[in-house]
Amino acid sequence: MLSTSIKEVMDKLNDVMDPELDQSLVELGFIDDVKIEGAEIYISFRLPTYWCSPNFAYMMANDIYEKVSELSWVTKIKVELKDHSFAREINQGISNRKTFEEIFSNISGGNLDQLRKTFKIKAFYSRQEKLIQHLLSKGITESKLLSLTLLELEIILNDDLKGKTLKNRYICILKELGLYKDEQQLAFTDENGTPIELDSFKNYLLQIRRTRLSMEFNGFYCRSLLITRYNI
Amino acid sequence: MYVTKDGQEIFVIDSHIHYWDASPDNQLNIHGKEFIDCFHDYQKHLSPKEYIWPIEKFMKYDKETLVNDLFVIGYVDMAIFQPTYLTDFYKNGFNTVERNAELVKEYPHRFILNGSFDPRDGERGLEYLEYQVETYGIKGVKLYTAEWRGDSKGYKLNDPMCYRYFEKCQELGIKNIHIHKGPTITPLNMDAFDVRDVDEVASTFKDLNFIVEHVGLPRLEDFCWIATQEPNVYGGLAVALPFVYARPRYFAKIISELLFWLDENRLFFGSDYAIWHPKWLIEKFIEFELPEDIKAETGVDLTIEVKKKILGENIAKLYDIDIEEQKKKLRNNVFIG
Repeated sequence: MLSTSIKEVMDKLNDVMDPELDQSLVELGFIDDVKIEGAEIYISFRLPTYWCSPNFAYMMANDIYEKVSELSWVTKIKVELKDHSFAREINQGISNRKTFEEIFSNISGGNLDQLRKTFKIKAFYSRQEKLIQHLLSKGITESKLLSLTLLELEIILNDDLKGKTLKNRYICILKELGLYKDEQQLAFTDENGTPIELDSFKNYLLQIRRTRLSMEFNGFYCRSLLITRYNI
Repeated sequence: MYVTKDGQEIFVIDSHIHYWDASPDNQLNIHGKEFIDCFHDYQKHLSPKEYIWPIEKFMKYDKETLVNDLFVIGYVDMAIFQPTYLTDFYKNGFNTVERNAELVKEYPHRFILNGSFDPRDGERGLEYLEYQVETYGIKGVKLYTAEWRGDSKGYKLNDPMCYRYFEKCQELGIKNIHIHKGPTITPLNMDAFDVRDVDEVASTFKDLNFIVEHVGLPRLEDFCWIATQEPNVYGGLAVALPFVYARPRYFAKIISELLFWLDENRLFFGSDYAIWHPKWLIEKFIEFELPEDIKAETGVDLTIEVKKKILGENIAKLYDIDIEEQKKKLRNNVFIG
């Protein structure tokens, strides 16, 4: 029983992403400890610096809480952010189910949902770029690529494990952004669902490569800084 | 001065250095300790082993160490102080104009002293800016938009009060605005590293130069976008440069993107000393060549001419430094290690 419940919790945590880096907290090494006592769960996590943005820290803490709550057998969850400048505020806020705006009402402005959307769009371009580069490296022409439907994409990648993984991650984000309609839709569009013209495709690729590079670089920076901070 | 194997002299201006005091005596609270610990992690994370200092030395180093590291062994000819106040974390501030001025007084031809302002200081702050020009002749300022002040955890460059400060800069002849948009201190606004406010002020104040330190990392793509639009936006390479050693392929990708979007005239070398040591940064940077596949992707190259620009010629233009004249002055001002 115990091993099944840990597996279930870990599966949920695998789905919690650092919104800024578009990588799972487990993969990044951010999860510090998981304890299960009956139906009560304790999860602690840590970040590469004491100063990491509290807005993203809050999102991660909240997503951990919400993802693990999806398990029907869980009755109580405690999430603890460690060694952070706003650990106290965020930990209390999460256990009292407060929004970021409520916790930091006196010192913050703006809208967290908008920020989340901005980073989902970055993640969309980043995942799309990786998939496009993979297809180009398989010898698919640019014009063919731009006319592919999701169904055709599925068929092309049938025996290609790496390609399939990239495609599945891409489709996930299409769904999250509400860009997914059916298998007959064009596989590659911009964030508004507008088709990409062949004439401007080179330029488009340069732009989205920049987004992917930036996210990848940050991911590397954060992961290796965490290793330095905790001597792991 | 760095001399290449074939005898070419490269004049080096380190556009980003500090002379800080983060010793326990000067720490005001836990944040002061955490701040310097985080800087120390950056050093440990990206430096070759022999350049990693013990924390005691890192918290507070003396003038002789700084002068020796930069000018005797580090190839640097001139260096620019970028002050960082952090008065909510340190009793006497972390790295103030006044503290840096001690060194400038001793070695006037070696340093450029930048000042600082914070729009939340209101009218009093405008007077302090005037004072810095009168007393130290500053030509540039370093801004930390994320600096904490009591309940306020940061400001934006397009806040109305900030506009008054930029107008004051124009009036006083301060033309170089260095902006920290990067790791460590994070404001509580929605995206701590958002660089869009730079875009707005750069297009309003076209005669001021906006140098985005750390080339907008971790928002490289947004920074490139803004710099493409605004010709008076520049990039300081501190933080990006150490990757030349730790992760050369990442560095290759980043520098080629920057050269592609910004061109070679708007990038500056900066060590962020004492986080990173200029000696190894410069050696590795000079040695470094872009891999062929990355060159083919963007069509840009990092030639020795481009490196010379990045290491000194570009920033010299912003601070009206005549490199040949400066070489003559420094000839009589030689440090012996």
